[in-house]
Amino acid sequence: MKRLAFAAALAGLLAAGTAHAGEVLNRITQSKTMTVATAANWPPQSFVGPDNTLQGFDVDVAKEIAKRLGAEAKFVTPEWGIITAGRWSGRWDISVGSMTPTTERTRILDFPAVYYYTPYVFAVHQSSPAASRADLNGKVIGVEAGTTTEDYINGRLKIDAVGVPPFTVDVKPKEVRTYGDSMGPLDDLRLGNGTRLDATVSALPTITGAVKRGYPVKALADKPAYYEPLAIAIDKGDADFGSRLTAIVDQMKADGTLKTLSQKWYGDDLTTLR
Amino acid sequence: MYQDNVIRPRMTDSPAFLGGTAAVVFAAACLSGAGQSGLGGLLAPVVNSLSAPALRTVAVALTLALAFTANIHLIGKLPLRGQVIAVWTELLLLFLVFFDSFDLSYSFIGTKVGFMITQGVLTTVYVSAISIAFAFVFALLGSTAKLSGNGFAVAVASFYTSFFRGVPLLIQIYLIYLGIPQLGYVVDAIPAGVMALSLCYGAYMTEIFRAGIMSIPKGQWEASRALGLTPWHTLSRIILPQSMRLIIPPTGNQFIAMLKDSSLVSVIGVWELMFLARTQGRAEFRHLEMLITAAVLYWALSFVLERVQAHLEKRFNRAHR
Repeated sequence: MKRLAFAAALAGLLAAGTAHAGEVLNRITQSKTMTVATAANWPPQSFVGPDNTLQGFDVDVAKEIAKRLGAEAKFVTPEWGIITAGRWSGRWDISVGSMTPTTERTRILDFPAVYYYTPYVFAVHQSSPAASRADLNGKVIGVEAGTTTEDYINGRLKIDAVGVPPFTVDVKPKEVRTYGDSMGPLDDLRLGNGTRLDATVSALPTITGAVKRGYPVKALADKPAYYEPLAIAIDKGDADFGSRLTAIVDQMKADGTLKTLSQKWYGDDLTTLR
Repeated sequence: MYQDNVIRPRMTDSPAFLGGTAAVVFAAACLSGAGQSGLGGLLAPVVNSLSAPALRTVAVALTLALAFTANIHLIGKLPLRGQVIAVWTELLLLFLVFFDSFDLSYSFIGTKVGFMITQGVLTTVYVSAISIAFAFVFALLGSTAKLSGNGFAVAVASFYTSFFRGVPLLIQIYLIYLGIPQLGYVVDAIPAGVMALSLCYGAYMTEIFRAGIMSIPKGQWEASRALGLTPWHTLSRIILPQSMRLIIPPTGNQFIAMLKDSSLVSVIGVWELMFLARTQGRAEFRHLEMLITAAVLYWALSFVLERVQAHLEKRFNRAHR
């Protein structure tokens, strides 16, 4: 009997890390705050703006979701790896952080809704003669570590979500260099064509932003390498909260809120596939 | 160090030494192609009339060699204090020129530096200050346990120092932040960071305290016991006050080190100086500006603390002057 009680206590202890049905939703409606985990250095999704507060597409989407849940959004900014590691233990309720619902991630997190798609493209130095992806075979390509770009260039990318157009990996690089953040490859690419890198794979909005800031880079003109579906993530186990979020995002798509926000931050409608 | 009393002619006056220095600088500048570098651009008004790149390199290298040698010769004539000030100023100027060559936007730094101080520096300082206070307590407990005759205390304390000195601080931060919630206690980012920093530095400081306590001659213990003081009173009233003289300087050193190691806490989302440096410039693609600003702020903080430490050292050294 004693041993049984001990086992039960141990099981309770181990289960403490994951959420129970309705628990997160209850917490949000009771405290009227929804704690959102997001990045702080990823414009235009979420970044520290001129007034030293977080702003961006993801931040606006999170605020809108919170509003529709009758709550206020509060933001925390742990490292990306800590958000994707799961087992949030109630530190935050939701991640609106442009997360790709890959097969591996669905083991530890739930993805109630895909809210937009980012086209991923190859970018080269302005002086590069490369015109299409075929010209990048046997070159040095830089990617951000731990993102879909790294999996893509190594031929390991699996995206587990509905409505993703099929893609093929048709570039065989000589060498893949990985960087700690998305700026690393661009900073190396700006040094010159082939100085450290010949090309990088990155999200189209990131490249556009860099070009706008005077980086001497350009996106290759051919079709995007792949589209990345980007989803809202929650901790495993609260199905009520998940279905509520699915309904809210569907609603935001239907009444055009999401499209307006996408136009505002990307200058383009990325919420539907073309 | 020991000051020799034999008076020799100054090395910076000897033609052989100056000539050798000039030759080395000239050769190095020639080999590294000084004419094409940013330095060549600095001398552009003079050397641009020389069309051949090789000739331009030689001209720049020659200027450089002469300027450097003359500089050494002149500074060599100053008294020691003057030499220190002159070389400091020159190195600082070189540093500024180096930073300036990055084509930084000073107006951008100007708009951000206020927030970096009120939010970043403040968080960095208070996280480090709380951590060093806890670390002090851990170190005191650890060192007394290690020096005690109790097998359990010795085992626990040596296990503690072994683990926390043997594992990278970054891993400790992750382990505490991600691991403790698995036991059902959810710790916030700042308490988790403070815990990791104080445990890690407490382990290092345990050894400092141990060395400090052991440096007090055994006779002090024996005399105190003979006078009837309890072991606790002997430690707290007789031994520790004397060993503080040896403990305080390295502890100040540890605090300066911790100030910079606290940047690791940024990975769990604490908005301290390093976190702001990495995120502030991101939207404008101006991260180099922010990194340099953070570097200068950390440096300034360390500089102030070095002064404080020097003052403390003087104070605790009163009896030995």
